[in-house]
Amino acid sequence: MKAIRWFVIVAVMTALSASLLAGCGSGQKQSAGGKVEITLAGWGSTPEETKLLDQVLADFEQSHPNIKVKREVIADQYMDVIKTRLIGGKGPDVFYLDAIEAPGLIETGVLEPLNHYVTPDFDINDFEKPMIQVFQKNGNIYGFPKGYSTLALLYNKKMLKEAGVEVPKTWDELRAASRKLTQGNKVYGFGQNPELARTFFIAQSLGGQVVKDGRANFTTPEVLNALQPYVDQHLIDKTAAQPSDVGAGWTGEMLGQGKAAMVLEGNWAIPFLKSTFPNIDFGTAEVPTIHGKKGTMAFTVGYVMNAASTKKQASWELISYLTGKQGMKTWTSKRFELPTRKSVAKELGYDKDPVLGPLVAGAPYATVWSEGSTLPTIFNNFNNQFVSAYIGERPLKEALQEAQDQANGEIEFQLYD
Amino acid sequence: MNRSVSKRAFKEAAQGYLFLLPTLFVLLFFIIGPIFYAIYLAFHKVQLLGVSSSEFTGMRNFTRIMVDNRAHIAIWNTLKYVIIVVPIQTILSMVMAAVLNAGLKGQKIFRVIYFLPTLTSSAVLTLIFMWMFNQSGLINELLSAVGLPIYNWLGDPRVALNAIMGMNIWSTAPFFMVIYLAALQDIPSSLYEAAELDGANAFQKFWNITMPSLRPVTSFVVIMGLIGTFQLFDQSYIFSAGSGGPNNSTLTVVLLIYQYAFKNLGTMGYAAALAMTLAVIILIATLIQRKFSKEESLN
Repeated sequence: MKAIRWFVIVAVMTALSASLLAGCGSGQKQSAGGKVEITLAGWGSTPEETKLLDQVLADFEQSHPNIKVKREVIADQYMDVIKTRLIGGKGPDVFYLDAIEAPGLIETGVLEPLNHYVTPDFDINDFEKPMIQVFQKNGNIYGFPKGYSTLALLYNKKMLKEAGVEVPKTWDELRAASRKLTQGNKVYGFGQNPELARTFFIAQSLGGQVVKDGRANFTTPEVLNALQPYVDQHLIDKTAAQPSDVGAGWTGEMLGQGKAAMVLEGNWAIPFLKSTFPNIDFGTAEVPTIHGKKGTMAFTVGYVMNAASTKKQASWELISYLTGKQGMKTWTSKRFELPTRKSVAKELGYDKDPVLGPLVAGAPYATVWSEGSTLPTIFNNFNNQFVSAYIGERPLKEALQEAQDQANGEIEFQLYD
Repeated sequence: MNRSVSKRAFKEAAQGYLFLLPTLFVLLFFIIGPIFYAIYLAFHKVQLLGVSSSEFTGMRNFTRIMVDNRAHIAIWNTLKYVIIVVPIQTILSMVMAAVLNAGLKGQKIFRVIYFLPTLTSSAVLTLIFMWMFNQSGLINELLSAVGLPIYNWLGDPRVALNAIMGMNIWSTAPFFMVIYLAALQDIPSSLYEAAELDGANAFQKFWNITMPSLRPVTSFVVIMGLIGTFQLFDQSYIFSAGSGGPNNSTLTVVLLIYQYAFKNLGTMGYAAALAMTLAVIILIATLIQRKFSKEESLN
């Protein structure tokens, strides 16, 4: 009797779960009129930017009447959501991917190699090389950058004029100018971001390598000596500060609030400053040369295709349109991002633009923020410890030694098999 | 056995299980299933993304915790947090409840006011507090107004965790206060009347009648507090933008689990091992608490 009872329960449970699972599986939507519907996932952005993307997508749908694009916005924890959905087999067909996450995802094989989709008239050579290299591995291309931004020196024109300093051209000039611009702890000459994403090129300016063979390599003399002046400017000169020292969220806000006269910021800061702090008259210049060399960071985001997508040809049509000459021109025309295609940059004339010019000028010599699949572990540990040196809790070497040991321990554990 | 009776019994049982099914299903798939899956993960090295693989690694994930410096920091931070927050919030909520139950004028309005923080989402609270903890924010303004030193609450590793502690005590104490209030209503007033006749003052009444009568509730509040504080995540996540910084000072065990599970690739198994370790720590802490309050809960 008991056996039968259990049999019934199990049978009902199985039927129920089977029907539920079947319900989950039938998520494939086929839109009316024989159109192929593909999903494009990205993170949320400003209303203006969203409107622009909608416009680009409308253009695409008009020129490709058989394809319908469903745009999905993942408002928060973008990578967590994307990874989880990819694991569950419910990933979008096409999605944004930050360059720093690209090597890790490429290794797992969830991204579709795009080589055999690319046609000659797509003109790969038109892309800025460093921006496209981060989406490549072993001769395969896994994504195309939709745009990029470099860092440039943003400065408060009025403050520089009142202090009687020229826009600094070298890092030494920047330190000297900061001294003149600093007013106690009310206004700092230079707003700093003590994290690896912003200091990577500074750390490597003496020829050291921050990441070597996928391992953290912070404690070589080249790297330590390159970073020490950055810390000294905060601790000894007291002419630089991080955002939390003055109650700001990021350096762009420091500049806008008039708490820093100069900051290194990217393209994204320009519309922010114009809309939030319209009274600040700021200028842009190339990042001052460091040890006689030009250097800056570049951040880029690409469109990639889900290897599990069932509508690959349509997905490629979308990627090739969005990163193609026409789509990119529309997308970058409102200056939210800079075009990764040289021809588009030239056509839009951004290289001669007084505000964007210095950002575009940085592209050829910029260090792209992406370095193998272990970079997330490395930069997390760097950021954590660098701050303790930055606020003078302990010497730089000691802090970075601990960060390096911790990062490499984690990486060894991660890679062990 | 009578056949018709057993048939009826079977029918009844089947009916019962049918009604239970939705709940059983949810429990099995969303609670019990994941627990067993987490235990499985803790003993494997897993790669879920892409070409998924899992490989039995025995105790390796657990031995890793022994040498992982950040895990030690996370456990230590969490313990420090629990040891400081649980007693303070328990005592504070008890005192607040006693005061609000003493028959003061306007106590109803004060109950509402004190309870308000609990109603706000902890994420929103954290954002408001971050704004208050700002270098030029309200808290520093107040401190400097009374001549106390000011701190960089968000950027200084020495005080960042304290900032979260203060915020959390402020927001959870009212919740436990309500539980205490309910318990206070249950204490027979005859006890207080008898004490008054014996000439007890307010403090003696609180110490000798209120406190002992509240013991079972205190036990509950402490256990819930222990579990809640051991699982500290959202506040430190928002505070440090997910990094656990500055200098690992706001790194908690759950935040570390999150980092290993979602931020790094291929360390899901290690995250599961950390989660199991945390579960064991919470279990031990709860058992210790039970042991201390055993005779008390029997009265």
